[in-house]
Amino acid sequence: MKRDEPEMLDLLAAEYVLGTLTGAARRSFARRRERDPFVDRRVRAWEERFAPLAWRLAPVTPSPAVWAAIERRIGPAPRRQWRALAAAVAAIALLGLGWLLWQELRPGEPQATAVVASEEGATLWRVELAADGDHVEVATIGDVRYPDARSLELWALPADAAPVSLGLMPASGRVRLALDDRQRTALAQAANVAVSDEPKGGSPTGSPTGPVLYVAALART
Amino acid sequence: MAESAGPESESEIARLLAACARQDRQAFQRLYEMSSPQLLGCLVRVLRNRALAEEALQEVFIQVWRRAAEFRRERGSSWAWLIAIARYRAIDLQRRERRLAGAGAEGIEDIAGGEEPHDSLMTLGHRAATALDGCLAGLQPRQRDCILLSYQGGLTHMEVADRIGEPLGSVKSWIRRGLAALKRCLES
Repeated sequence: MKRDEPEMLDLLAAEYVLGTLTGAARRSFARRRERDPFVDRRVRAWEERFAPLAWRLAPVTPSPAVWAAIERRIGPAPRRQWRALAAAVAAIALLGLGWLLWQELRPGEPQATAVVASEEGATLWRVELAADGDHVEVATIGDVRYPDARSLELWALPADAAPVSLGLMPASGRVRLALDDRQRTALAQAANVAVSDEPKGGSPTGSPTGPVLYVAALART
Repeated sequence: MAESAGPESESEIARLLAACARQDRQAFQRLYEMSSPQLLGCLVRVLRNRALAEEALQEVFIQVWRRAAEFRRERGSSWAWLIAIARYRAIDLQRRERRLAGAGAEGIEDIAGGEEPHDSLMTLGHRAATALDGCLAGLQPRQRDCILLSYQGGLTHMEVADRIGEPLGSVKSWIRRGLAALKRCLES
């Protein structure tokens, strides 16, 4: 075909680059360029030849909106970097604030501590009377054998009065037992705490009904 | 290629394009800063409308970002690669706009603008002569005018004919002969 002669093809390539190849002929040549490396080489040669004419045109500085739009369209990566930085700063600030709050709000040293241990000396629980005196915290610190279908109950043993129940001991982990005035008073006067074996849910009478399993001295701090 | 010794930034642009192919956004921004004024210059010249040209510039850089990996240094200069993307975009857009507007005589007058092709040729004369300059200078004046008008302004045969007030057939033949002569000259 005559149009496929190299000279003709080269002229088509030149007019394609120039822009004078128009309409359907232009579109079909563009497609041909895509799949024919020979045609593509000729087009590139003309692009190269004419390029100096383009870079000699007067430059025009784009408005900042153009770059902003391009950045938006290519995705959020730089913004994500910025966000990561902002998040890190926020996290550090939060940590600082948290530390300050913790300093402000953290419980002080407990007023008194008792460590409940077995006869063999194995530590089982630590009982702490909070600094403000409004609760007792019991933490399991050893291998506790909790009787099936029973509850172990903690008692304050005031020097001159009957034992006052403080609540149930945990089988594991820790519990926080809020104190009422009567319990607070009892603890204030107690030198010891005791743990008794009770029906499930605790003593029904308000006094120890089962055997007292452990007694621990309350050490004031 | 010898006939298109690029601007001094050629190797830097090529390096930035390679970095863009690795999705390096900083390199992309630098590339934009270095090349966007020149590319917008091309687009404005073809589209004759600042807002439309800026829209096209956006499209051009989206393409550059996506297609950076297609650029091969051994196949040609990075500037020619960028300019080609911009010019094809501008030409497509300009012809679409013109179809939509329905190009009357008024439209064409507006598109052609007031700039004389000789201006750019004079500009060329002030610069260091390249092979292209020499070869363009060797063309017959009408051939040279027609080629510069269509390349820099993105004008079709018909628009060039209207612009210089010559018959369409003459314009087609000047361009064809001019291109052939240019090629012979550049390859010699």
